[in-house]
This record gives sequence, C-alpha cells and structure tokens, in this order.
Amino acid sequence: MAIKFEQVNFEYPSFDGTNFSALKDINLEIAEKGEFITLIGETGSGKSTLVQHMNALIRPTTGSVTIYGIKIEKDTKKKGKVKLNPLRQRVGLVFQFPEYQLFEETVLKDIIFGPKNFGVKESVAIERAKQVIKHVGLDEEYLKRSPFNLSGGEKKRVSIAGILAMEPDILVLDEPTSGLDPKGRDDLLKLFMGIHNDLNKTVIIITHDMNTVYKYASRVLVMNEGHLVYDGLPQELFSKENIKSWNLDIPDIITITRQLEDKLDVNFDSQPHTIQELFELVKEVI
Amino acid sequence: MKNIIIGQYLPGTSFLYKMDPRSKIIALMILMISTFILKDVTHILIMLGVVLLILKIGGIPIVRIARGLKPIMILLLFTFTFQIIFIKTGNLIFDTELTLTVFTLPLMIFIILFWYLTRRYIKFKFLYLLITAFGILTMLSLYTPGSVLSSSTLEVYGDGLSGAFFIMVRLIIIVTLSTILTLTTKPTDLNLGLEKILKPLSIIRINAEEIAMIISIALRYIPTLLDEANKIMLAQASRGVDFTEGKFKDKVMQIISLLVPMFIISFKRSDDLANAMEARSFVPGKRRTRLHTLSWHNLDTTVIVFCIFIFISAITVRVMF
Ligand SMILES: Nc1ncnc2c1ncn2[C@@H]1O[C@H](COP(=O)(O)OP(=O)(O)O)[C@@H](O)[C@H]1O
Ligand SMILES: [Mg+2]
Repeated sequence: MAIKFEQVNFEYPSFDGTNFSALKDINLEIAEKGEFITLIGETGSGKSTLVQHMNALIRPTTGSVTIYGIKIEKDTKKKGKVKLNPLRQRVGLVFQFPEYQLFEETVLKDIIFGPKNFGVKESVAIERAKQVIKHVGLDEEYLKRSPFNLSGGEKKRVSIAGILAMEPDILVLDEPTSGLDPKGRDDLLKLFMGIHNDLNKTVIIITHDMNTVYKYASRVLVMNEGHLVYDGLPQELFSKENIKSWNLDIPDIITITRQLEDKLDVNFDSQPHTIQELFELVKEVI
Repeated sequence: MKNIIIGQYLPGTSFLYKMDPRSKIIALMILMISTFILKDVTHILIMLGVVLLILKIGGIPIVRIARGLKPIMILLLFTFTFQIIFIKTGNLIFDTELTLTVFTLPLMIFIILFWYLTRRYIKFKFLYLLITAFGILTMLSLYTPGSVLSSSTLEVYGDGLSGAFFIMVRLIIIVTLSTILTLTTKPTDLNLGLEKILKPLSIIRINAEEIAMIISIALRYIPTLLDEANKIMLAQASRGVDFTEGKFKDKVMQIISLLVPMFIISFKRSDDLANAMEARSFVPGKRRTRLHTLSWHNLDTTVIVFCIFIFISAITVRVMF
C-alpha cells in the first residue's frame, strides 16, 4: 500500500479555542499503481483536507497516515529526523487555485521550480518542462510568457504542468477541471487517463462532475461532513439510496437511461457508460 | 471562515464590555499618559496594583494577559540587561569578577550550543534561557582555572536595578492596558469609537471616516490574508519548498515564492472588494447612517472621572516627591 489512513481525525484550530473537526475517523488505503480514483462530496465536506494528508502537508490530529512506509502522526515533525520532502515528490498534489503557487517571471521557471527543489538538474528540468507543457495542452511558446498574464484555464494547466514535471508516482489533483471549458476539461481528463494507463500510476481527482466520475473512475470516494461515507465502484454508488442525502448528482447518462427505460417500458441488460453504448442498447430493443 | 476574530476579542459581560468604545479608548490614553508621568518605583507599583484591580473587577484572566506579554519578553530582557549594565549610579549592590579562561571559553561555547540544540524540547523556553544565562554568569565568576584570556567586572548598582525594574513594570502596564482594550472591544466597535474620536480632525481636512474605514478593512483582512499565506505555504511545500530548512540562498527563494502570490492575491482581493463596494453604491465621503450607534452611559463618565483622578494623582506625586 502506498498510502494508508488509520483512524484519522483532523481538527482545524480556531482563534477562539473551539476547534473545527474537518475529518472524522477516516480509514483508507490507496495502492501505488493502477487506481483511478475520484473523490467527491459537497463543498466543505473535507475533500481538500483529506488530500493534503496524502503528501504530509498537514498531519492528523489523532490517528496516522502511512505514506510509502513512513508513518505520519501528530508530532512526527517535532521528533525531527523524518524527511517529509521526498514524500512530496512521490505524491504530487496540485492545488485547487493556481494563484497559490505561480510566482516566477516565466512559465518555464515556474514549472522547473518543483523539480529543482527535489534536486533535479536544471537542464533535465527544462527538458521535462518542454514535455509537460505540451501534455497539458499548451504549446512551447507559453514557456516564455509570464504566468500572471494567462487566463484562468491556462494558469490551471501551468500549475498542473509544474507538478507533472516533478514526475510523482501518485498524482493527486484538487478540482483540476473546475473553471475549464468542456473541451479543456475533456482534454485534461484524457491526459490524466493517459498517465494512468500508460505509466500505470495511481491518479486521484477531486471533482464535482458526476459524468467524469462515472465515465473514468475505477473507484470513487465520497466525503460527507468529514466522514468517508462511500468507498467503492461508481456503478454501485449511483444505484444507492443515500445519494440524495450526500447532495450528489446522478450522471446524465444514468438519468437518460432511466427515463428511456420508463418511456419505452423496458429494462436494459446493462448500464451504459457512454451515449454510444446506450444507443446500441436502444437499437436492440427497438 | 469559522468566526475568526482578530485582535483577540474575548467574549464577556463585565463592566469593561458595557463601556462605550470611545470612553475605553480615552481611558486607556489617560492611564498610559499617567504611567509615563510616574518616575518612582513605588508609584509605578501602585499603578500596577490599579491595573491588576481593573483586571480583577473586569474578570479578565491573567493568563490571557500573560500570553499578550509573551512577544515582548525578549524586549523586556534586553532593556533589563542594558539598564543593569550601563547605569552606574547609586550604591554598589553587588560586584564580581568575570574571567574568561582557556578552559571556561570552550565550556561556555559548549553550554550555549547545548542550550541552542535542546531548547526546542523544553516547555518553558524563556525560563530555560534565563537559567542558562545565569549558569554561564555564575560559572564565569566562580570557576577560574587555566590562564586568563580576558576579564571584566560586573557591577550592579542600586539605580541600575531599580531603573531596570521600573522600566520593566512600565512596559508591562502599557502592554496590559492595550491588551485589555483589544480583549474587551470588538474590532468593529473599536473602529467606530476611533472614528468618533478622530471626528474633530475634519476641521483640518482629515477625513476621520475614511481613516476608520481603512483601519477596519485592514483589520478585517488580517485573518483572511493569514489564511491565504498558509495556503500558499502548503502549495509551495507540495513543490518541495521546505520552509523549516534550507541554506540562505534557498531561504530567499522560499520567501519570494511566498510573497509574490501573497501580493498578487492581496491586490486581487482589494480589487474585488472595491468593485463589490462600488456595486453597492459606496461613495467615499458621503454621509452614512449606522446600524449600531454608540451611547454614552453613566458608567463611562464614572470611569473617565476615575481615570482623570489617577491622572491628577500622578501629576501630584510627580511634582510633590
Ligand atoms: N484553514 C482552515 N481553518 C479552519 N477551517 C478550515 C480551514 N480549511 C478548511 N476549513 C474547514 O474545513 C472544512 C473542510 O474543508 P475542505 O477540506 O476545504 O472542504 P472541501 O475541499 O471538501 O470543500 C470546511 O468546513 C472548512 O470551512
Ligand atoms: Mg476543496
């Protein structure tokens, strides 16, 4: 297991002394290879807090997170000795808002900032930057530009490129597709899917788009008020009753299928994942 | 945001909370000036007594005040040491020869190193520092084997000691008084009070309302910006910035990686805020009504009279003794 959560609780301290409990008794295991996980849940349910535990950015208040064999607990840092930085290279985390990380004069410098911090030679890092900028759907011209004059979507891509250039073993993305147009979103998801398929790396994506969840994910985690309430296959999730109480949507394709079943008064043999599959099913019955 | 209140407002019900912010600010001023007027150790101790009494009646836990004093501990220690070393009047209380020998020099360095390495594991850091410093002094004065490298005399005079004590108490009183104000007054009230007090300045064409508005916006954004700074640090830590270590060159880079996004975000925030205010037809300098108005009660008059009494007493003792 690459990452293992054991009875993790996390509280945000607050100035008036009453702490806010953001994670409650989380138990979770994530494999190093082969998983494509989506993490969903309404705003404020603790998704971002959860993923920030995965590269030891924050430490559990009680319980432990084990990342590549290194056990992270409340007072891990104080005891010294434990080097957390290598973990952050192995588990790459892209933050929700690119404004929090872009700071260099050029996109190139910003992308090589991460790799250089982890001891990669500058020339190698520049080579990587040229690669990843194309992967995120921008051309090499962008490397010379200032990150601050880019559009929201372009900033987002640059911030993702900055993490990809670190070549992490596990890639964690906090709402990578929010604020992108549909084409940009699909392109990025294909990129993540490519990383997952070609390099067999585990990818974890926080998203609010149920269509993404249903179409791509091999596993889905649902957060609700700090609890991990579901961990399993997407297909099973959307047939569950609780789904309304967790304030989650149903993917379009499932809604359409259900309505068609109603209208045509039939029961399809399987649950289609794409419009094409649904089309085939409909053809069969008609 | 989970009701973060800056300053360190502590909800309560004592008389300090019932007072008008205007009278609290004025009372604070009067008491501070009185404190600066006093020049004698006994008198300043009486003043300290008065402040403690205010704390007691006002129901403010001493612990909170102590927490407020923590940041100025170093300053206190510094002034104390300087006073003791440099004031050489009054009667000699204590003197001793401090000798640095070939043997005690490495020992001293070793003790300092030991202190430096172990201090993070000690709970009462300040006390630990004091004990270490005292230990070194004792060693230097009593233990003198080997050939002498250098020596000097440490002389403590009566005036030095009382002066050091005096300045320390005065600093403590000042900090305590201002802590009382921020502990018992909500930032919005403080702001409103300040605005009213500054109102007369409009005669010399200074717009008190704008100043108060600027102060209140700045106060309002401190927690937000702290929050942002924290998020930026996490985002950069994800890219391998270890804010706890690194050589000097790395440190500079780390700070830049924090400051640049900080500036960009602050500018963006202020832009958004300006737009939001404009969208709600905010026009600077226009007459504005308030949801909450301030009202002056008998309590306020009583407190001000009490403070003026202290002020007059301070002048009297200063002149008389
Ligand atoms: N720095 C912080 N200080 C205090 N509370 C926080 C902080 N960050 C997040 N929270 C609170 O923790 C809860 C979970 O936040 P988060 O993990 O960001 O949720 P999500 O990513 O699912 O929207 C929220 O209720 C939020 O208000
Ligand atoms: Mg979030």
